[in-house]
Amino acid sequence: MISTLPHIVENAASMFPEREAFRCGKASISFTELDVKTNQLSAYLRKKGLKKGDRVGIYMDRCLETTLAVYGIMKAGGVYVPLDSLAPHPRTLFLLEDCGIEFLVTTPKQFKRVSALLAANKTLANIVGISKEIGVDAIGWEAISEISLESYSPVEILETDLAYIMYTSGSTGAPKGIMHTHLSGLTYAKSAAEVYEVTKEDRIAGHAPLHFDISTFNYFTSPLVGAANVIIPDAYTKLPASLSTLIEQEKISIWYSVPLALVQLLTQGVLEKRDLSCLRWVLFGGENFAPKYLRELMNEWPQATFCNVYGPAEINQCTYYHVPSLPENDMQIPLGKIWKSAIHKILDEQDLEVPKGEAGELVVATPTMMQGYWNNAALTMKSIFIAKNAKEIDQKYYRTGDIVRENENGELIFLGRNDRQVKLRGYRVELDEIEAVLTRHEGVEEAAAVINKVDENTTGIYVAVILHANQVFESDDLIAFCKSHLPSYAVPHQIEIRSNFPRTSSGKIKRSAITTI
Amino acid sequence: MEEKIVAFVNDQISSNQTDEKIEAQDDLLGGGILDSLGMMRLISFIETEFGIKVPPEDMTIENFINIETITGYISSK
Repeated sequence: MISTLPHIVENAASMFPEREAFRCGKASISFTELDVKTNQLSAYLRKKGLKKGDRVGIYMDRCLETTLAVYGIMKAGGVYVPLDSLAPHPRTLFLLEDCGIEFLVTTPKQFKRVSALLAANKTLANIVGISKEIGVDAIGWEAISEISLESYSPVEILETDLAYIMYTSGSTGAPKGIMHTHLSGLTYAKSAAEVYEVTKEDRIAGHAPLHFDISTFNYFTSPLVGAANVIIPDAYTKLPASLSTLIEQEKISIWYSVPLALVQLLTQGVLEKRDLSCLRWVLFGGENFAPKYLRELMNEWPQATFCNVYGPAEINQCTYYHVPSLPENDMQIPLGKIWKSAIHKILDEQDLEVPKGEAGELVVATPTMMQGYWNNAALTMKSIFIAKNAKEIDQKYYRTGDIVRENENGELIFLGRNDRQVKLRGYRVELDEIEAVLTRHEGVEEAAAVINKVDENTTGIYVAVILHANQVFESDDLIAFCKSHLPSYAVPHQIEIRSNFPRTSSGKIKRSAITTI
Repeated sequence: MEEKIVAFVNDQISSNQTDEKIEAQDDLLGGGILDSLGMMRLISFIETEFGIKVPPEDMTIENFINIETITGYISSK
């Protein structure tokens, strides 16, 4: 029985030993090879003293080694923590420290960055994936592949053990770690496999980076059914005309990404010259897909079913909406119905259920839900709503913070947020985090962040700033500061230095008026 | 031409974490120097600066992998 995430690979290796499991560029790996290589990494980590529950960082771009790292770490009983190799170092250093990471799995390409991280960090003691001298214990991938498995025995893992921690924007200015167990990850993988009827004949595109929760579809669901997952190298994600060639050549049958990647494919992917008729599913999530682009894309790929996927990273997924026909108007695409792995309520501000059809906060109870936020019991408590179920037993619901209403078909419609979280390129960004980061700058007295239009199709972050008296800083200085503390998608496109803000009568910043004066 | 592009990438759009400046042969796409929006900004810079039009079918890895291939591409237009 498959009851933990590593069982996925063990099972696939016995059922589909020679089939292609993962591919990236010219490199490819079968399920048997994946099983053996991840056992070797697991054996090495155990030998070096990794204990069950230890957090292990994965610091890579999109490459085949990501899959070895994910399963090698979990097989050793470790908890994998994806680190964005493009994030500013202060952010990565925070994550390393917050999770107490001693082991980092990486590739030779990251040598310079890892060296820079080591120079500023005290917890890292073991680097996997680099054979050059780097100042701490290190081993290359070549040497890992030579490890003997003669005396190897698997670690016993429970489904309630932690499997991975994914970080997301936190409103206090520090990112927060979402802890998932083998049960929550695996339940998601199985539910998604069922909804999309994924089979071993499918070829799935791995577009999302490992630190984005969409990637669990690629790393868990794909091997669960014996499908081939084609990891898209970083270069292709930046050039749609090359990306569409790759989709054609690899005969991709399932695509899953944020809407932005699909809009770029549509507008710059030269789709009229590509044969993408193998595509049978186009899944999108993370943010709203503008109906005008969706309509054009559905016309372009009439053989494919398009699906709006919804669910905060804390619960993986909880609804889906298979777009039934070309959107006739520019009404927002529904989030869809709650899937069968979850139950939900829609609550008013007093935590009472709203009458059917009225707006309220969506709360969801599901086995795909996180265990909580890493090292932050208070925030975990705040994110949970408890109700008695029919048997008078406490049932935990996750408070999504999303305001929704149910339409006459029982589909949920997204209306907005009950806080200041926004979505940019599918990524969650807390506007409070941007303000918190900026007020850490020596020159800044106050900051007010809002989203506004960069151009017709793009939204970005605009920040108005008041400097301390006698401080002289330019807007560019503050942008540079943001670049070194925030991931690129969260860097404001404009920072304006002001002498005052519009305020309410009680003196609070009137953010709704901030861009209009 | 090469210097102008190198300067634009280093000063305007690079998300490079180390202090080292990029050079003409450095991989712009795989090394984490540019993200997809950075790429779009680079292309519009090239269009304005060198007075050419870059059609979508030319926005490929072969043409944009590094600054050397970019200058080669611009010269061919």
